[in-house]
Order: sequence, then structure tokens, then C-alpha cells
Amino acid sequence: MGKVNRVGSITKRILKELLHDRRAMAMILVAPILAMTVFGVALGGEVTEVEVAIVNNDVERKINDAGREIRISEEYIEILEDKDSLDITFLNEKEEAIEKVEDGELWAAIVFPADFTESIIEEGSSGSIEMNADRSDPQVFSEIISSLEESLEEMLERLDGEIERPMEINVTEVYGEGAEFSDFLVPGVIAFAIFLLTTLLTLLAFTSEKVNGTLDRLLVSPATEFETVLAYSIAFGIIGAVQSIILVSYGIAAFDLIIEGSIFIAFLVVSLLAMTSQSMGILLSAAAKTQVQAVQMFPFIVLPTFLLSGIFWPIQALPSRIRPLSNVLPPTHAAEALRSVMIRGWGLLEVLPEILTIVLFYLIFVILATLSLKLSRK
Amino acid sequence: MKAKTKRNFAIQTESLSKHYGELKAVDEVDLNIPKGCIYGLIGPNGAGKTTLIKMFTGSLAPSQGSVKILNGTPGSPEVSSLIGYMPQRVALYGGLTIEENLDQFGGLYGLKDEELSEQKEKVLDFVGLKHRRKSILSELSGGMKKRVSLAVSILHEPQLLLLDEPTVGVDPELKVEFWRNFKKLVQEGNTIVITTHYLAEAERCDEIGMLYEGKLILEDSPEMVMEKTGTDGLEEAFVNIVKEVG
Repeated sequence: MGKVNRVGSITKRILKELLHDRRAMAMILVAPILAMTVFGVALGGEVTEVEVAIVNNDVERKINDAGREIRISEEYIEILEDKDSLDITFLNEKEEAIEKVEDGELWAAIVFPADFTESIIEEGSSGSIEMNADRSDPQVFSEIISSLEESLEEMLERLDGEIERPMEINVTEVYGEGAEFSDFLVPGVIAFAIFLLTTLLTLLAFTSEKVNGTLDRLLVSPATEFETVLAYSIAFGIIGAVQSIILVSYGIAAFDLIIEGSIFIAFLVVSLLAMTSQSMGILLSAAAKTQVQAVQMFPFIVLPTFLLSGIFWPIQALPSRIRPLSNVLPPTHAAEALRSVMIRGWGLLEVLPEILTIVLFYLIFVILATLSLKLSRK
Repeated sequence: MKAKTKRNFAIQTESLSKHYGELKAVDEVDLNIPKGCIYGLIGPNGAGKTTLIKMFTGSLAPSQGSVKILNGTPGSPEVSSLIGYMPQRVALYGGLTIEENLDQFGGLYGLKDEELSEQKEKVLDFVGLKHRRKSILSELSGGMKKRVSLAVSILHEPQLLLLDEPTVGVDPELKVEFWRNFKKLVQEGNTIVITTHYLAEAERCDEIGMLYEGKLILEDSPEMVMEKTGTDGLEEAFVNIVKEVG
């Protein structure tokens, strides 16, 4: 009987403690729902709305003696347009389309040559499409290829055996020649690792400063709240730079990582991301009174980042409704900038928009973190 | 006349209050703490001593009333550099050595190079920890950590020292040593404000302010308090006064 009482009293105490701790309760009830929602929404998706351009130079031809003049490319494009995997823009000039791919505005420029229909109907030859593609994201690239191939089959079915020629897709890689999935993945993993480690470490470190009373001591000294936040971000910027040097070097050695652009821009991006993440950590620490409460926030930071930052699969695979959410996560921009530098070989000027976005996040978080420290005096 | 008064006080408050909802942690406290003395803020746990100290350091903003520290605003950089603060908890970096902790706080108060080295020598000597300077803080005994905490608070030679329960958890021997140190600092021209709930200990102060439920119920020298209440100890005096007040 004594044993039952002892076990019962401990069980009861644990449940009572939980009832007193609203945060822990919320954590137990809300976190699994959040996890299910985020995974369900983000994982189920296929790659859709990949931006491509079509330049159709095809010339009309009669496909049989009795028939009318047609452009087979039109049939083909009609089928392509029905697919939601591609978001097609029509352009007149091949050069313009390729330029847009080079600028990162489009994933591919698909060109139907003038003799497309002719070469298909002429015996002994085969039709071909030229495609200048950005292969820096292998999943996006393979989605384009499979859409083109599927549509081809459908078109052949529609033309009901009138055409038996094979058709070729001649791919020229604008970016990412020979890129593998690991080349796409590693920059994302770097961004993910730095963001999470830095955010969580700062969140814990700063909560400890609060709990131990050292923060109070810092703020009693002539050091201002802003100086404190700034000092933290410089320290974590340095740590981020060292981490990125280790990660990138390891990536090159272990995974034969492609580094087309300047490795120093990659280090800069990672350091900026680390600084942004630490100021976010300080901001979040405002909501934590103890280290336990800080740890309870982890899933709410990890899950959305993991799923919505375009780190493990492209943002194009997210439902279009929630895609804008990925833009408000700093690692999205860091991963994009890192891929552009590492796979596309872009320079500072080309990745400047992404870098400035990260800097903007940094400034916003620094201001909010400083304000949150000031508010703690009230 | 007014200017002269200001110069002679380290801390002056007027109707100083801090409210948390219904709770009046500090309730309309008027204090005049003269320079060059040890002033004891005494009272039981929860009387409002720490809240008051935090308003002196500027880490808490008052809900009402005003406070002047060395004739300036608490929390302003000018005032901050003139005060030393020793919180109730040790509040130092456990993973760093004693010296590294001193370096951190020296840096915050603008000490560097030679000046910092000199001051470090001086305060380590003062608290008797010269030989342990390279020891990691978390590996030290509780008493030693308290001594480091005191060293940190006097590193930049502040004019005003705010010590929040500095002798809690300190063994009797160290307590005596601490008080000897406090007297020494005052002889050098410092002002010390000390909070304590050990009323017997407060008899060593030059002046005391008694706090009870957020209110200042008495301000005088320990001798006068005992004389007025006809008691021979502050503990007894406090109990009598509380009975009278409430």
C-alpha cells in the first residue's frame, strides 16, 4: 500500500506542477499541433509555378497532304500551360529570355526553333527544343524536364500517331553545370545550422545572463542596452565566420562541393546571418524568465525554419499561399545568397538584394532587442 | 542653501514608489543619505530593500516620485560610472577566471592597460585573493565568490557603493572581514548603502533606514534608535517600532 501511495504522490505532484506552469501546458498542447500543421502543409507539396520563358520561333507547316497548316509547338505549349508546375512567360527574343535566366529571374528559357514543326514532320529527322536552364536547384530543374517530357507524350497522343519522330531537349546549363543535390543542400544546411545554433545559443546565453544577474550588473555599468546587443552581435558574427570557414572547407573536402563564386562573400553572408540570429535570440529571451522557458521555445523556432526556409526542398514546393512566409525567415535569404554565390558564381552585386534583406532583418532585430532590454527596466 | 544640501547627500528621494499592480513594493519613501557614511537599509525579507536599490542603480524605473544619485539621474552614464553595485546573488561569469571577470567589468567602466592592471592588483589585495587570480570562478567556495563580487564592485573606484545583502550566506569570519573592508572604504571617502535583514549586523552602520512593507518607518543612527525605543539591540527595537506603526 505504501508503494502505491508513494508512486501516486509523485505522479500527482508532476501533474500539479504542470497545471501551475501555463507555458509548459501550452508547449505540450500547441507544439505537436504546430508540428503537424507545418509538416502537413510544407511537406505534401510538389514543385509548382516554376518561372520559365518560352520563345516560339516555330513556322507553320502542313502536317499531311490534305490537312491544314499548323505549328506543332502550339499544341505542345497548350499542354504545358495546363500544368501548374510551370509559370510561363512568352518572350520574342531568345537573348532576352537567356538574360532573364542569367539574372535569376527565370529558371529556364525554352526556345522552339523555326524548323521545329518541319523537322518533326520530315522523315528521318527529329524535332528539338533548346533550353537554357539554371540548374542550381536540381529539384526545380528536374521538375522542368519532367514537365517537358510528360507534355511531349501527351502531345504525341493527341496527334494520334500522325507523328512518330522522337524529340530532343538540348539543355545548356546557364548555372550549376554538373550540380548535384548535395550542392543544393549544403548551402541550405550551412544557413540552417548557423541560424539555429546562434539563435538558440544566444537565447540560452542571454537568459542565463538574466537569471544569474550578470545582465543586471552589465546594465548598471555605463554600458547601454544597445552597446550590449552590439557586443553580442560582434562576438557571434566572429563565431559565425569561423563556423562558416569550417563548414565550407569540410563541404569541399567531404562532398566535393561546387564553389563557383567568391568564398569570402559566402563567409560574409554567414557572418551576417549569425549576427541577425543572435539579435533575434536576445529578442526572444525577453519572453523567457528561466532557461527552461527558453528551451520550451525551441520547437517554435526550429520547425518553421526547417520547413519553410527552402533549405531542404525548394520554396517552389510550398503551397503558394504560405510561400510569402518563407520571406520573413532570415535563413531563406541566406540560403538563397549562398547558393547564388556557390553554384551560380554570383558576385557581391548580384547577391546584394539578399544581403541587404539580411542586414534589414539584423537592424530590425537589434532595435527590437534593445527596446526589449529597455522595457525590462519598467 | 539648497545647493549645499544637494552636495552633501549621496542619495535623495522624494515620494519614491514602485508599484506592481496592487502591490506597493516601495511606497512614498523620502530618503536623505549623507555622503561618507555607511547607511543601512534594514527590514525583513520583502520589505522593499532590493527594489529600492534597483531604483538607485537605474535598473528599475520608479512608478512615482523621484530619486537623485550623486545629484544625477540613476542609469545615466555619468552616474553609472560613479556607483559600484554588488547584487544579492554573485552575478559573475562562472566559466571565467577571477581576473577575466575583473577584465570584463574593468572594460565596462573604461579601465584599460596600466590603470586596469593597477586596479586589479589593488582590489585583489583588498579582498585577499591575489593568489587565486587564475582560478575559475565556478570552482571557488561561496565565500570567495562573494569576495570576487565585492572586488568587481569597487574595481573602478566608485564614490557610492550599493551593496544588496552582501553578507548573506557568508560565514562569521568573512562577515567580520567584510565589515572591516566597508569601514576602510568609507575612511577613503566612499559612501556605502547596504541592505540587510540581519538587524544585529546593522548596528555597525552609521545610519539606518527601517523599511516595512514598502514604507520607510524610521531613519536615524542605530544608537539613537535603541535609545528612543529603550532597547539594547536593533532587532528588539524593530519589533517594538513595527508594533507601534501597525
